[in-house]
Amino acid sequence: MIQKLVNILLVEDDEVDVMNVKRAFSKNNIKNDLFVAGNGVEALEMLRGGIVPLPRIIILDINMPKMNGIEFLKEMREDENLKNISVFVMTTSNEDSDKINAYNLNVAGYILKPLSFEKFIASVATLKDFWSLCEM
Amino acid sequence: MIEPEKRCQEELTALKKEFEEFVYIVSHDIKTPMRAIVNIATWIEDDLGPDVNKDILDNFNLLKNRVGRLENMMNALLELSRVNRTKMELFEVSIPKLVNDCIEMLGDTINVEFHLTYNLLDKKCITLGKKLEKVIYSLLHNAIQFHDKVQKNVFVEVIENETDYEFVISDDGPGIPEEVKDKIFSIFYTANSKDVVDSTGAGLAICDKIIKMVGGKIQYAPGLNCGSIFKFNWPKTITVNN
Repeated sequence: MIQKLVNILLVEDDEVDVMNVKRAFSKNNIKNDLFVAGNGVEALEMLRGGIVPLPRIIILDINMPKMNGIEFLKEMREDENLKNISVFVMTTSNEDSDKINAYNLNVAGYILKPLSFEKFIASVATLKDFWSLCEM
Repeated sequence: MIEPEKRCQEELTALKKEFEEFVYIVSHDIKTPMRAIVNIATWIEDDLGPDVNKDILDNFNLLKNRVGRLENMMNALLELSRVNRTKMELFEVSIPKLVNDCIEMLGDTINVEFHLTYNLLDKKCITLGKKLEKVIYSLLHNAIQFHDKVQKNVFVEVIENETDYEFVISDDGPGIPEEVKDKIFSIFYTANSKDVVDSTGAGLAICDKIIKMVGGKIQYAPGLNCGSIFKFNWPKTITVNN
C-alpha cells in the first residue's frame, strides 16, 4: 500500500509556538511536511496558490493579526475547493464563545495549548493518530 | 431618564465593556509569553542532555514551578472577575447529594473521615447549584489541604431555617493564626508560605465573592481545641439579575 503523508499547514503568528510545534513533531517522530502561515490571509493565499499540496490538514490558532482564526474558518468553509479540509483549532483561548464559533464552523478538534511542553507533545501525538487515519 | 442619570448609565456600560476586554487580554495575551517561558526552559533543558549539573536542573524546576504559579494566579483572577457572569443557572439540587458530589471531586480521601449532619425540611431546593458546589468544594478542599495530621476529620452541618441554609464546615487541623484571620478572604493571601503548601490563595476570596453575591455572609472562627470553623448562610431564594 502506498501511503501518502498528509501535509500540515500551521496557521500561527507566535514564533515560539511555531518552534513548539516543530519540536513536538520531532519528539513524536512525525515526518509530515509542515507549512507555516502567520495569519489567515497568508494561509488562504498558500492554500489557493497550491503551495500546500493535497492531502492537507490545518492546525489553526485563533488570536492572530490581520485575519483571525474564526474569520479564516468562515472564509475557508465558503470556498468550494477548501471547505472540506480538516481543521484543528489550537489556542490558549478557553472562551466559550471561541469554542462555539469554532465548532459551528465544523472543526475536527479544539486543543487548548497547555503550559507544559510535555503535555503539548501528548496532544500532538493524539493529532498524529487522527491524521494517520486520513492517510490510509 | 434625566440627563446625569443617562450619562452615568453610558459610563457604566463603557466601563463594563472595558473590563470585559481587559479580562480577555489577561486571559489570552499574557498566557502566550508565559507559555513561551516554560517551553523555552524545557527546550534548553532538553538540549543540555542527560549530564546536567543538579543545581541547573533544580533551577529549571523552580523556574517552571513559578510560572505554573503565575498561571494559576491568572486563572484565579479570571475566575474571580467572572463570578457573577458564568455558571449562573438556577436549578434543583439536593443539598446532601451536592455535598457528596464535592467529596467525590476531592479525589483521594482515604485518611479523611467526613461527619455529615443535616437538619433540612426539604432536601431539595432551587438555587445557583454550580456556585454552591464551588463554595462547598473549596472549603472541603482547604480543610484537607492545610490539615497537619495523617488522620483527618472534616465536619459538615447544614441547618435550614425560615430564610436560609446555614452551613458549617469545620476540621480538626491546625486552624488559622488569630492575627491573620482578617486577611484570609483577600485574594492570593496564604497563611503559610506558598513553598509549604503550594496553593494559589484564591479559594476563599472566590467563596466570599460568591456568597456576597447571593446575599449571604461567610465567617471564620477558630475551633474549640484546634481546627477551623467556616460558617456561611445561603439564602433559600436567590434572584438573578441579568
